[in-house]
Amino acid sequence: MTGAEGLPSPPKVAAAPTELPVVHEPPVPFVEIETLRVKEFIPAAKEALGDLIAEQGQTKLIRPMFNWAGRNSLFPLHWGLACCAIEFAAGFGARWDAERFGVVPRSSPRQADLLIVNGTVTWKVAHKLITLYEQMPEPKWVIAMGNCATGGGPFRTAYSVVPGVDKLVPVDVYIAGCPPRPEAMLAGILRLEELIRERKE
Amino acid sequence: MQADDLARALAPKLGGNFLGAEPFAGTAGRVRFGRDGALDLFRTVRDDLGFAHLSMVGAIDWVDHREVFYVVWSDGAKQYALLSTDLPAADPHVESASAVWPSANWHEREAWELVGIEFDHHPDLRHLLTPDGYAFHPLLRSFRLHEPENLEVKSRHV
Repeated sequence: MTGAEGLPSPPKVAAAPTELPVVHEPPVPFVEIETLRVKEFIPAAKEALGDLIAEQGQTKLIRPMFNWAGRNSLFPLHWGLACCAIEFAAGFGARWDAERFGVVPRSSPRQADLLIVNGTVTWKVAHKLITLYEQMPEPKWVIAMGNCATGGGPFRTAYSVVPGVDKLVPVDVYIAGCPPRPEAMLAGILRLEELIRERKE
Repeated sequence: MQADDLARALAPKLGGNFLGAEPFAGTAGRVRFGRDGALDLFRTVRDDLGFAHLSMVGAIDWVDHREVFYVVWSDGAKQYALLSTDLPAADPHVESASAVWPSANWHEREAWELVGIEFDHHPDLRHLLTPDGYAFHPLLRSFRLHEPENLEVKSRHV
């Protein structure tokens, strides 16, 4: 392809189309569009999700998602027992504002997944604490806030005080102090969030 | 109202169960009575002397005996009065004041569970501060504080 002067001729440029190309395909008939009603969609979605889980594995997909959602929306039960409850309340006030971690106190154990035992637990109130704990839906966590809830505190030898709330319910995080400051309560909640992040089953 | 007035009013009603009335600081006086005349004393003090309000019921363990005392208040005289009785430690029971002053109900429940006083004809003698089935009377002198037993720790992290 040489020109008159021995130079390569410029490549030919296709003329700009004057109108957009139209692909003439037959229209999809309406009856062939796959529409699913809800009662059909749910089993189909379960099947697809099941395949995904089988492919990815529960530990890689579902569990981290639940852990992420759970640790960012810890709802403690709004249940004050003693002077630690004052620090608990201050922690949700304007200065410390635990709500920025997604921690919102709930008034019903049915809506809560975190039990912060803030105060002295007496034997008289022990079975009420167990009832509240059992009313909370799974998964649920317990924080023993302050020396009284941790081990009885100064009332350890008293006739009426439970020597540590871990004799009644399983405790995940202990917070020392008499009473602990709201920063300590927030540190305990963040420590619990680390525990939830590592949660496997 | 003085202790002498109390004595003049109560001695004829109670007879041998009236053991004396003595001055007591801040009150009209302190009446000592035998436990058999308890109900007569309560009715007389409330109806005849005007002590319509029972302020508190308390109990003390004096080791060799136990004392139950009642603090009553008169709105007319603007005065308190103390009524006290001594009970043997082996058999500490006294008639309940709930029939005369209904406010005695919870005070007597507390005295029963903490000091072990038995109140006869009490309408509802249940535990108030300690859990149901609690086997001790912790405000007795013979009750010792102790390090708690080794209870099982419930944990899901071990």
